[in-house]
Amino acid sequence: MIGTNISRWTMTYFAAALAWLFVALGLLVAGVGYPAGDIASPDTLVLVHVICVGWLSLAMCGALFQFVPVLVAKPLFSDKWALPALALLTVGLLSLLGGFLCLGGRLPPALWLLPLGAIVLVAGFGLVVLDLGLTAWLRPTGPARFVLVGLASLCATIAFGAIFAFALAGWAGSVGGVVLASGIPLHAVAGLGGWLTLTAMGVSYRLLAMFMLAPDVDDRQSGVTLAVGALAVAFAVAGGALAVGLAAGLQIVLSIAAVLGIASAALYGRDVAGIFSNRKRRHLELNMRMATLSFASLAGVALLGIALVAFDAFLANVGAFAFLAIFGWLSGLVLAKLYKIVAFLTWLETYGPVMGRAPTPRVQDLVAEDRATKWFVIYYAAVWAGTAALLGGEPAALRVAAAAMTVCVAGIVHEIVRIRRLADVARPLRLPVGVVAPHLLFARK
Amino acid sequence: MIQYIDVDVRPILRAGGEPFSVIMSALENLAPRQGLRLYATFKPIPLFAVMQKKGFAHTEQALEGGEWEVLFTPAETQPDEPAAAASNFDNWPDPAVTLDNRDLDPPEPMVRILAEADKLGPGETLSALLRREPVFLFPQLEKRGFRWLGGFTSDGTAYELTVRAPS
Repeated sequence: MIGTNISRWTMTYFAAALAWLFVALGLLVAGVGYPAGDIASPDTLVLVHVICVGWLSLAMCGALFQFVPVLVAKPLFSDKWALPALALLTVGLLSLLGGFLCLGGRLPPALWLLPLGAIVLVAGFGLVVLDLGLTAWLRPTGPARFVLVGLASLCATIAFGAIFAFALAGWAGSVGGVVLASGIPLHAVAGLGGWLTLTAMGVSYRLLAMFMLAPDVDDRQSGVTLAVGALAVAFAVAGGALAVGLAAGLQIVLSIAAVLGIASAALYGRDVAGIFSNRKRRHLELNMRMATLSFASLAGVALLGIALVAFDAFLANVGAFAFLAIFGWLSGLVLAKLYKIVAFLTWLETYGPVMGRAPTPRVQDLVAEDRATKWFVIYYAAVWAGTAALLGGEPAALRVAAAAMTVCVAGIVHEIVRIRRLADVARPLRLPVGVVAPHLLFARK
Repeated sequence: MIQYIDVDVRPILRAGGEPFSVIMSALENLAPRQGLRLYATFKPIPLFAVMQKKGFAHTEQALEGGEWEVLFTPAETQPDEPAAAASNFDNWPDPAVTLDNRDLDPPEPMVRILAEADKLGPGETLSALLRREPVFLFPQLEKRGFRWLGGFTSDGTAYELTVRAPS
């Protein structure tokens, strides 16, 4: 069939992702891991993987199951793989986190949990990569190319991660030890830069153009942005792996990759500015206004990186850099887009069957932007304050900022649940004859 | 019996290239009683007029994923095996309703098409101009038993959709 159906399990992924976000914020508020603990401590590994695998990757996968078919105008390769993949990712992450807790002495020693978690995560991400990759491969143009590069980066990320997990359990011999000793920056660059950032960029091209009535960015123009970004990741990962193999330092490789990464971010900024200025829809919805704060955060990440390197303080402040990238750029963008995606999909699922036959509400009738705005604005303010707290070496201030972020995310989630429940739709339009209220956690067939 | 020579321009189109010269050179190499079977990533409407002037009739058939198979047949003969789906698209009446949805906020274009489509009499058609391919609309049309034809205009700035009510 031509066209795109509603992805059945996207809401389930979003719900699981948001649950992990609360876990991550809880750990930050409680002061578990960095900055209270060492940045390489097992507690920090728990925190980082709850955020990057549990929150960001699950949210991204949920969005991709819906939007890769939109990008290529073809149905998903298989609808049946999404739920098993979610189960594998959840079990794999729990096992990995268990392994980290053993490593830190918080659980009795059972280091086999690390390789087990890695294997189950590889299986889960493998299903996701196959399903999305085979779908995007059908028409690899425009934003779908970003997704393909993102998926390739995901493969590199989990390959490194799996080696680390085996090495930490002592099952990877001397080679594993060497990779573990110096490969962590490559794992982080491939994951945060390649998988999460390039994929978010790709999807945003189409979402921004679609919801603002702007012409699509020219394929060749976005292709340059992608090429520079992909080169940055490929250079970091391949060059870095070579450097590790030759027992050389990573400094030069990562410096060149950083320059390319900043260039890619700048080109992306140019593309997004073009979409905004060419839009036909002058009024900006909340999700767009808030996305601009994410773009500002991405620019902040680039500037902060340059400043820290210039003052030779990057390694000492890598935590603040990552915090702004993770919570300002990626999490902020995902939260803002979730707010719109849930409203749009809920509207389509609920009112699609009677559209044109009975009066139906508009998508915007499902949301209460005035109420939601404050949560988003305070969230970004708290993220920027948290970044400042990390730069200033004030762990207590960071915990206060994290508490504020938690309250705001709770407020946003409350709004999203209300959207899903059609709570803000005026009575006569809410459930016309023939309409079934949507389930909170999945799309009905 | 007409023999059809296959010309697949989908790789050229996907790479952003211009397939016109390839099609014309294939045309020059045709023997008498040979036709072209063209595969394209969109319905090549502008080509139909060109081919008609050169003495070729066309029947087109939508393939999966928005792609098209078009049979160009020398005009003095008819295709021996008209493709089943292609014949179903013959004789579509002129649209009873024409919509220009290019400047509507999404998802209004979809709402308007579904509302107007439900008012069509049996077998009637409507045509609509859109800014982009309405991927979320197709499943709704399918569920309601409508048939449709669609493709980007040759300059790529609009998507032209024709919807036919079940007869």
